Amino acid sequence: MIFVAVGTQFPFDRLIENMDQWAADYDQEVIAQIANGEYVPQNMQWQRFLDAEKYNKNIKEAAVFVSHAGMGNIISARNHNTPIIVMNRQFSLGEHRNDHQADGVKWMAELSGVYAAPTQAELYTLLGDTNALQVSSPKENKKLDQLVGFLDDYIRTGKID
Amino acid sequence: MTKKTKILAISSPGGHWIQLNKICNKLEKQFDVVYATPGAQYKSSAKKGRRKIYAITDVSADSKLNLIPVIFQLLYILIRERPNTIISTGTAPGVMAVLLCKFLPIKTIWVDSIANVNVLSRSGRMVKKHANLVVTQWEALSDNKTIVYRGSVL
Repeated sequence: MIFVAVGTQFPFDRLIENMDQWAADYDQEVIAQIANGEYVPQNMQWQRFLDAEKYNKNIKEAAVFVSHAGMGNIISARNHNTPIIVMNRQFSLGEHRNDHQADGVKWMAELSGVYAAPTQAELYTLLGDTNALQVSSPKENKKLDQLVGFLDDYIRTGKID
Repeated sequence: MTKKTKILAISSPGGHWIQLNKICNKLEKQFDVVYATPGAQYKSSAKKGRRKIYAITDVSADSKLNLIPVIFQLLYILIRERPNTIISTGTAPGVMAVLLCKFLPIKTIWVDSIANVNVLSRSGRMVKKHANLVVTQWEALSDNKTIVYRGSVL
């Protein structure tokens, strides 16, 4: 199953439409959370909003999670060991108030288990070989402990080791 | 029992708040952490009832007039809570807090957002000379003196 989600604050019709067209051509189960989008999917299951439990269950069970470029979804995908493809809203297409998500995908794509697809072509290429998509490496999962350990020491001692 | 060291954690909503939570969820095991963030969205991330979260006015560096209430809100929180340390992941409210604490006996930690890969964030550059500790989440941005790298939230 492929799970698609665009967040709850804004619609993201381009991503939903891209995924709906993809679902028409491939025999795969696709479930989408579409928020207040105008585009109504024809080829995949969809809901506007999902409760947290169902949402997390979908991320966990998905072979791939296709998402808007939201940090919360990246964290959830990593927690559930699911590879994630992120598409960013673009200011030039009227999808966002400013272009800050454009920088957003640059850093996201540096993380293991996270794939950036700014365009439909890049999205379809990644979906074409989902077996090649990897989950985040255990090494990266240690970075948070490293950072917090350092901050903890600094708060206690006021010194940088 | 000795009193736990108190930390005030402060950030803007969205990704900054998510990063602050990733760090502070762990710091809460050792320290007494209180929070300040613009009100509307914190309810979803906070573990209800257990955390002390002060709502502050939502500001960006572009809305300079709003900075004035935030200064008073922060002063109120600092006087009331008397934290030993403040920590911020950005943006404008964190800058204000760092600048205020410069005149107070409070340690200041700036953790620059992970979204800033190529250059320190605009707010990070504003506090660079004022915070006691400035941390980047990307090794390439560290000079190991004024800006240090020791891991990241992701």
